[in-house]
Amino acid sequence: MMRMKLGIALVALAALSAPAMAQDLTKDMKKGTPDLKSAGPLAFAPEGVLLVGDPIGGAIFALATEDTKGSPDSVKLDVPAIDEKVAAALGTSPNDILINDLSVNPASGTAYLSMSRGKGPSATPVIVTVDGTGKIAELSLKSIAFSKATLPNPANPGEGKNNQRAEAITDLAYAEGRVIVAGLSNEEFSSNLRSIPFPFKAADPGSAVEIFHGAHGRFETKSPVRTFAIYGVGKQPNVLAAYTCTPLVRFPLSDLKPGTKVRGTTVAELGNRNRPLDIIIYQSGGKDYALMANSSRGVMKIQLENMEKIPGITEKINDKAGAAYETIASLKGVDQLDRLNKDNAVILVRDGGPLNLKTIPLP
Amino acid sequence: MNFPARAAAIAFIAVAAVPQGCASSSTELTLEDGRIVAPSADGVLKVTVARSDVPLFGEIRTENGRRVFEPRFPFKPGVEYHVVFESSGRRLEKRFILPAPAASPPTAVTAVFPGRDALPENLLKFYLHFSAPMSRREAYQRVRLLDGAGKPVELPFLEIGEELWDRSGTRLTLLFDPGRIKRGLKPREDSGPALEEGKSYTLVIDAEWPDAQGRPLREGHRKPFKVVAPDERQPDPKKWKILPPKVGSKEPLAIQFEESLDEAMLHRSIIVVDAAGAPVEGRIEIALQETLWSFIPAGPWKPGAHSLQVDTVLEDMAGNSIDRPFEVDVVRPVEKSIGAKVLRLPFTPK
Repeated sequence: MMRMKLGIALVALAALSAPAMAQDLTKDMKKGTPDLKSAGPLAFAPEGVLLVGDPIGGAIFALATEDTKGSPDSVKLDVPAIDEKVAAALGTSPNDILINDLSVNPASGTAYLSMSRGKGPSATPVIVTVDGTGKIAELSLKSIAFSKATLPNPANPGEGKNNQRAEAITDLAYAEGRVIVAGLSNEEFSSNLRSIPFPFKAADPGSAVEIFHGAHGRFETKSPVRTFAIYGVGKQPNVLAAYTCTPLVRFPLSDLKPGTKVRGTTVAELGNRNRPLDIIIYQSGGKDYALMANSSRGVMKIQLENMEKIPGITEKINDKAGAAYETIASLKGVDQLDRLNKDNAVILVRDGGPLNLKTIPLP
Repeated sequence: MNFPARAAAIAFIAVAAVPQGCASSSTELTLEDGRIVAPSADGVLKVTVARSDVPLFGEIRTENGRRVFEPRFPFKPGVEYHVVFESSGRRLEKRFILPAPAASPPTAVTAVFPGRDALPENLLKFYLHFSAPMSRREAYQRVRLLDGAGKPVELPFLEIGEELWDRSGTRLTLLFDPGRIKRGLKPREDSGPALEEGKSYTLVIDAEWPDAQGRPLREGHRKPFKVVAPDERQPDPKKWKILPPKVGSKEPLAIQFEESLDEAMLHRSIIVVDAAGAPVEGRIEIALQETLWSFIPAGPWKPGAHSLQVDTVLEDMAGNSIDRPFEVDVVRPVEKSIGAKVLRLPFTPK
């Protein structure tokens, strides 16, 4: 539901410079047991570092999975009834678990699922891996190298039971030495996109940038981000974001500076009765595309070529104005989406029955 | 959490009356302190949920000449487990279910905010309070907004997978879809606002909504209300009436607002500071449909100039904060921005 993954472009970039920065991201991590209160959105940074959003604990964890080798190009992930199998491994029933996010480690092609065993606030967070053979295992959080960034909570500490403010983490990604976190408060209508330097430093919790939306060049509102992806090869990286109020917008990653007010350029109006769930970026025929899973409009393939040249939508428009996209209607019921390798994506899809983990060719 | 060994052993034996496959004896496979213990060290021990071939996460080791399975997560009451031990041609098999713990009283809806029965067309959120923690990923199937004819309003709320719970899982924030509130956006242009001035609606909370233990609510809940004109004005502290308490008393300090404010934020966005600049200890009560804020001090009021420090993030029912309206009309920017994060409102106990 939540999430996004970092664009393959940036993974590729990181891979190219890997020898110089090997161990750089994990060398300051300490071994121990991360005190995860919940396991929400996931994203991979280079070197097999798994970023885990913990909305209940109000923190982002970076875990050194040591899963850094493999042949992701030859991996195919297909596990029918994954919810039933994972629930059985956790010793419970499928209606007593939540699968919160899916992320594929680009280094190995192994899928990681953030889950909870139980559905209440004291449910146990679990991270489960699924490899190319279909083997389901738990990512052990005992004696793992990790680091943690605590998200500031403006609620008055010491207010006891009155301190009920919390922030849902709607998505996160790694890009260019920073972890970008989109959140939504359960009280004030906020629109913070937090940018935290990575590796995490205790002294620098990052900065929050407020994101705004301008409708028809007239009405301006705060606009929380529901899901986002980062794209851009050999040029300015951009954030492609779906707002909670529906429009798909773009803004340069470099705009995320403390004290700035970011106003996304609307590149597509995705229409009514539709809820974006997840976006990934990929390349086909030398061009960048975004693939977006939606609640009711199937999966959309959006052309990113020359998107920075598309004029922002500022006037009342028809249903399909803005960036060109096509809808792959056959892909219905997609809950989660991530890129597996250059030709394939992995989806969690429900087709009336149980939840299936499937590999699909990138369109 | 470990289940009491005694209770678990009783249940284990009770269900062992359903033997499967080859000969078995209830004394040979046992449940001890939440672990499965086989009679010997030589053999293969497999523990699964019944009717699944996926082994449970856990550790298998040998202790005192016996194979022991320690599950990664405690066995759950109500789930049927299947244990097989195969040792040199001998097969032992057991199924068991741990008994459910004693039931606590059913969970109930304890409050819905805003408390008013006349709400603005651009209402931004409801807060639903429950007496015990609730299950996640259920909310949007369990809450409906019905129009005056009893017909459900289509997709009125912002549905996000994470859902907006507090940490205790007892309060849900139900945001209206901002695309249906903000002017100039497709959802509103196509379907109109979720709420329309002059009409009546009912928020319905389904009794089948499972709490964190998977049990339905004690009963459903309905909140009927009518819709009045949209509220595009920011809360204005200049219009607030501060009712100072008496020096030496423990009387409440009260503020009367000119409109209903956000119930949740009222609990954290106003603090009382004494003449020395130190926060005054006490508790907050909200009344009269969120138009009255009272602070009951822990000790008697001291003399001297006190102040209320108000976080300008504080919103009204339509998401207009003291700092900023929900929607800024950039063509006619008549609204004001305070600029400050904290406002100081002085008062002196009488």
